[in-house]
Amino acid sequence: MKKTIFSTFALATLVFASCSSDDDTTSENGGGLIPDIEVPETYSFTRDGASTINFPGQTQRILMGEELISSMLDFDTATEQSLLDMFSNENTPFINEDLNASTRQLRNTIASSEDLFTESSAEAATIRQFFADLLSDQVTEVFTAQAVVASAGVAGQIADGGSTRYVNAQGLEYNQAVTKGFIGALMVDQIVNNYISTTLLDAGTNIEDNDNDIPRNDSGTDTQMEHFWDEAYGYVYGTSADLTNPNLTIGDDDSFLNKYIGRVEEDADFAGIAEDIFDAFLLGRAAIVAKDYDVRDEQTAILRELLSQVIGIRAVYYLQQGKNGIESDDFGAAFHDLSEGFGFIYSLQFTRNPSTDAPYFSGEEVLDFVGDLTTGNGFWDLTPEQLDTMSEAIASRFSFTVAEAAVID
Amino acid sequence: MKRILGILVLVAFVYACSSSDNDSDSDDNQGFNPSNFDRTPLLENWADNIIIPGYIDFLSKVNTLQTETTAFTENSNDLTAIRAAWLDAYTTWQRVSMFENGPAETVGLRLNVNIYPANVETIENNIASGSYNLDLSSNRVAKGFPALDYLLFGIASNDDNILDIYNGPEGEAYKQYLEDIVADMQSLTTTVLDEWQGGFRDDFVANNGSSATASVDRLANDYIFYFEKFLRAGKMGIPGGVFSGDVEPNTIEALYAGNLSKLFFIEGLDAVQDFFNGVSYNGSTQGESLGSYLDELNVLEDGTNLSTTINNQFDTAREFVNGLNTFEQELQSIPPTNFLNAYDEVQRIVPLLKVDMVSALSISIDFADADGD
Repeated sequence: MKKTIFSTFALATLVFASCSSDDDTTSENGGGLIPDIEVPETYSFTRDGASTINFPGQTQRILMGEELISSMLDFDTATEQSLLDMFSNENTPFINEDLNASTRQLRNTIASSEDLFTESSAEAATIRQFFADLLSDQVTEVFTAQAVVASAGVAGQIADGGSTRYVNAQGLEYNQAVTKGFIGALMVDQIVNNYISTTLLDAGTNIEDNDNDIPRNDSGTDTQMEHFWDEAYGYVYGTSADLTNPNLTIGDDDSFLNKYIGRVEEDADFAGIAEDIFDAFLLGRAAIVAKDYDVRDEQTAILRELLSQVIGIRAVYYLQQGKNGIESDDFGAAFHDLSEGFGFIYSLQFTRNPSTDAPYFSGEEVLDFVGDLTTGNGFWDLTPEQLDTMSEAIASRFSFTVAEAAVID
Repeated sequence: MKRILGILVLVAFVYACSSSDNDSDSDDNQGFNPSNFDRTPLLENWADNIIIPGYIDFLSKVNTLQTETTAFTENSNDLTAIRAAWLDAYTTWQRVSMFENGPAETVGLRLNVNIYPANVETIENNIASGSYNLDLSSNRVAKGFPALDYLLFGIASNDDNILDIYNGPEGEAYKQYLEDIVADMQSLTTTVLDEWQGGFRDDFVANNGSSATASVDRLANDYIFYFEKFLRAGKMGIPGGVFSGDVEPNTIEALYAGNLSKLFFIEGLDAVQDFFNGVSYNGSTQGESLGSYLDELNVLEDGTNLSTTINNQFDTAREFVNGLNTFEQELQSIPPTNFLNAYDEVQRIVPLLKVDMVSALSISIDFADADGD
């Protein structure tokens, strides 16, 4: 059940070839052709009969994130210390004992990509502290106002349809800011600026080792290059029902990047994006097996663009939904959307534009947006015009329009 | 003046273009399209003959409930009168729940008086602590009709035991809570009616345009939203397990009193159909309505007036639901086939309203399914 896909170059040749009478599709005689890449139907790769796929660390960090964000609304038992412990995996904070036993943690993985933060340790520390502060503030500002009706400048609870949301004095739900902020600072940063970057893939003797099928030290099967690629894959699909065929349940497998790829996929304007993302992971991995690093890097560019787009689309979507709420005086619904949007906007600084090789928005630009959203009484003061301006500013850097992102249709 | 001339020219132009269309309806249609239709009589009928009389009636029932609550707290020997007042008010609520627009939307009336099932734990905690703020969003599950349902029918296994609680050591706390939540309903309803009878009625009628924020568009959206989410899904779909896959009998309306949810559904369906036909709240006079609006635009579907198709489906749905036993009984069958067949007839109304009607009237649906978190 394997299909053979050729690199772009070979494929182009094939298309021309197929127009001629000679319909021979094999390329065995192709002196100048790039070798074929065997692409399996699912994300299953083996060497000598044993699977070479392995990404426990990514699955664990997703699960740590899940416990943390659900604990942020556990008014009865969570404390500032317990949340911070979960963030840095200290003092056995998790219900899941496997997570407690792990040496991995969220805090030091946030903003830790090689490409963006190797020489920006102060910036990385600031970002990690940003999240730690959100956790602390949830307890000191929001937990203490659990039985207060929120109003401009007053933290408390606010109705959003049948739900009750808990916001700070500016209308922000810290738990939403953390959840959506992780999507950029953890998942997307680790993928686009780290694991699928040549900085890691081609580091040290990785190319030579991969060329010669030499496994990485602590593994009997996969090469270091393969493993990096799989770790990237794990940040999207690490909790999928079927790890090898994850699009069967895309959107339902976590509260982070997987979920929002699923949401964007539901919008007809972007239908197909989930398949495109998976296909790029799949072909990139197959290219590594075939030692075809050009094809691999083409997939890196595709993934950078598409995963960044997911963040951009959701940022604009929530700003527009928030605008609708404000226009109809439904502050509860508006603030919930804006809180999610806040997190996605924060995440923009971790994206990667393949054309410029830089994030779509710099950290400074993101902080300007954050400033606009949080001056004075924050969300309480926002106008529809401001939200439109911000939406346009974000969409203009991407290939989608505000109208395309604004509604799921 | 120039503008009027421009419109005339445009109408003439459109007419000229369509006259060759061999369209037998074109004469009737001339001058009637959703953008120049005069919505004022429609809005007046809604406000003056349906909505405001509805709220007046509802408030009077809530006032009676308040009176009976006070009487009960003074002499807690008999549940009959307070229960009857509760039932009367709850039934009347089914007539006005759909008008979650303007004042009712501002105070969030529907979710303040009728989130069911009630959260028993929150209710009991509130009563035990004696300190609660009913303005809190999180207390909406602990007040309104569903909380009264629990307090009047569900706090003990039979009537004698219920009365024992009101006359026991915690009795005062329970009575206080009864009074407080009824007062809360009274205050919210009074606010809504006062605003309608104050400036809102005129604003509502004056907002007679055809934009997304015009009164007709807004109320039509609220009406369809009510039908889809609260009547169809809340009263039938969710208990029937249509969305979850499992029957959820504990999510029916008036869970503790029992055997009322079907009656409430029918009352709600009647109210929705009456509103569609512009039937006066007090009486059977028909005024301008969504149905008459469709008729004036001469909207046909397969040769039949769309309004007739919609009314026929309302009737079919009612017939199916009336043919059921109580919802409690129906939901004991696994799967509850008859219940679900009736639900399907209710569901068939949704596209008629949400697609056919709104597209004929050039109304945009302004709500979407929730994003899921």
